[in-house]
Amino acid sequence: MADPEKSQEDERKSPAFGVVATLLGVFAFIVAVGVFFSSQYYTSPSGTVVAQSLGTTEVNGQSMPHVALNFQTYPNSTGSRNAQGTGPGSVPVHSSGSDSWPAYGMSNVFQVPAHSLVTVTVHQYDSGGPLNNPWFSKVHGTQDGTATVTTPDGTSSTVSSWDQNNIGHTFTVRGVPGYDPNFFLSVPLPTNADLPNNEGSASNQDNGQSYTVTFSFISGGKGTYAWNCEAPCGQMVAAFGGVMSAYGFMSGFIHVV
Amino acid sequence: MSFEQQFDAIENEITEEGDAPPFFSRPGGKIFIIWLVFTAIGVVIGVFAPHHLLPGLQSGTGSDVWATIVFFTVLAAPVAAFVYALAFYSLLAWRPKKSGSSDEPPPDGPPQRGNGPLTILWVGISTLLVIVLLVWGMTVWSSQQVAHDGALQVNVTGQQWLWTYEYPGTGVTSRTLELPQDRPVEFNVTALDVIHGFWLDTMGIQTDANPNENTVIRTTPTTLGGFVVRCSQLCGLNHAFMNNKGSVVTPTQFGNWLVSQGATTSAAAKSADVPESSLTPSSTSTTTAAPMNTGASQ
Repeated sequence: MADPEKSQEDERKSPAFGVVATLLGVFAFIVAVGVFFSSQYYTSPSGTVVAQSLGTTEVNGQSMPHVALNFQTYPNSTGSRNAQGTGPGSVPVHSSGSDSWPAYGMSNVFQVPAHSLVTVTVHQYDSGGPLNNPWFSKVHGTQDGTATVTTPDGTSSTVSSWDQNNIGHTFTVRGVPGYDPNFFLSVPLPTNADLPNNEGSASNQDNGQSYTVTFSFISGGKGTYAWNCEAPCGQMVAAFGGVMSAYGFMSGFIHVV
Repeated sequence: MSFEQQFDAIENEITEEGDAPPFFSRPGGKIFIIWLVFTAIGVVIGVFAPHHLLPGLQSGTGSDVWATIVFFTVLAAPVAAFVYALAFYSLLAWRPKKSGSSDEPPPDGPPQRGNGPLTILWVGISTLLVIVLLVWGMTVWSSQQVAHDGALQVNVTGQQWLWTYEYPGTGVTSRTLELPQDRPVEFNVTALDVIHGFWLDTMGIQTDANPNENTVIRTTPTTLGGFVVRCSQLCGLNHAFMNNKGSVVTPTQFGNWLVSQGATTSAAAKSADVPESSLTPSSTSTTTAAPMNTGASQ
């Protein structure tokens, strides 16, 4: 037979237990949601583009790894899918947003080794227009402060800036607090609207009508760096809404390992 | 029955004693003691916590802001302490004694109405506090509005998601903010897209950067060293990354920095307010903008 006093005591304890259990449950739920979104934030459904090793090189008398990083900028994110080929392996650069938005491809997440010479090659398939701030028409943070622009016919020019009224996108990388906050890199990517057979359609993207921009920089210390486009290629206020305010198309991360 | 009589009656009822006990044994006295303790804690926190919570100071403006925070906290301490003391004592002393028991909480006290002296007291103290805070705040604020002849002009532009700083007369635009020591600076702050917040916490200055508006904010850096410029308005996707380093340097170092950024030595000397001979010409050639779609070179 149950002890009535003990039973009353259990009844008194049970509300406290319920409160504690509820609080713990809510706390665990919040942590789980935070961990989930945090893990999604630094990744892309199309994977991570890992820089390819080119061996070692010497910069200013110092030997360091040399890697190549290649990516593209597309007038719409279907270009990123097409570049991967059709079928199950074809995934958007990010799960949200619109296919009609311009996008970096095939991913917006890159990986390079720390303290290495990184040679970047960008195929710029998109059109563009004027910048909000001409400062971004200049090349910042690359080796020698220059980039090389190659036209489809193979003609190259080394530039330290580009016409501020004809910029498609910029590749702008910055250090984030905790990881080499002084690191900064920004390279303008010329619009290719003047190239023939380019109206920004997915089919024309495959025609290879692009400017090719090549530049090198020395990566910082290990950590995660943020990059984004600083050309007003979005919608709404100052053309920085829409695609520019949605993670995954004109912004991403570089994991320095 | 007056308020005091009502209060005494309630206290006597609570203490269940016929004769009124000493003041510090009655609830009012206990609350008063708790209030004193809480006030002391608040004052100590107000005076010493800023040393641990606030950034270092690099300007007189920052010192003014620091002093204002301390002063306001100390003045607010007794007010907050009174609220906390009352709540603290009420929760502890006038709760049912046993959880789940049938003890009823004591009856409510009488309504606090019709007590002229008490009303005058709290309205008077509140008014006095507000006036003191207003005078103090306006004095500090007005001291920051004084324009100085020969102040260094810096045009600050915020955009998603970067600050750029232009030094007029030098041709230099940079993403890092360099400032000379002991020289008044006028920041002309604007934005290109949405509203940003230009915030130098170690200088004690912060203002909104509004599109199509120029907002002037002033300070005089006094202490050498680095600082961080932050955006204080949630401005979009990469707001969290919209910060950059800056530093306060000597006037000569500032002039040399301008030269390294492409300024001529004469322009740099004029901007830095130092003799041109004290500056070192840049050893690195500055890059020249290439024209658009021309001059192909293999």
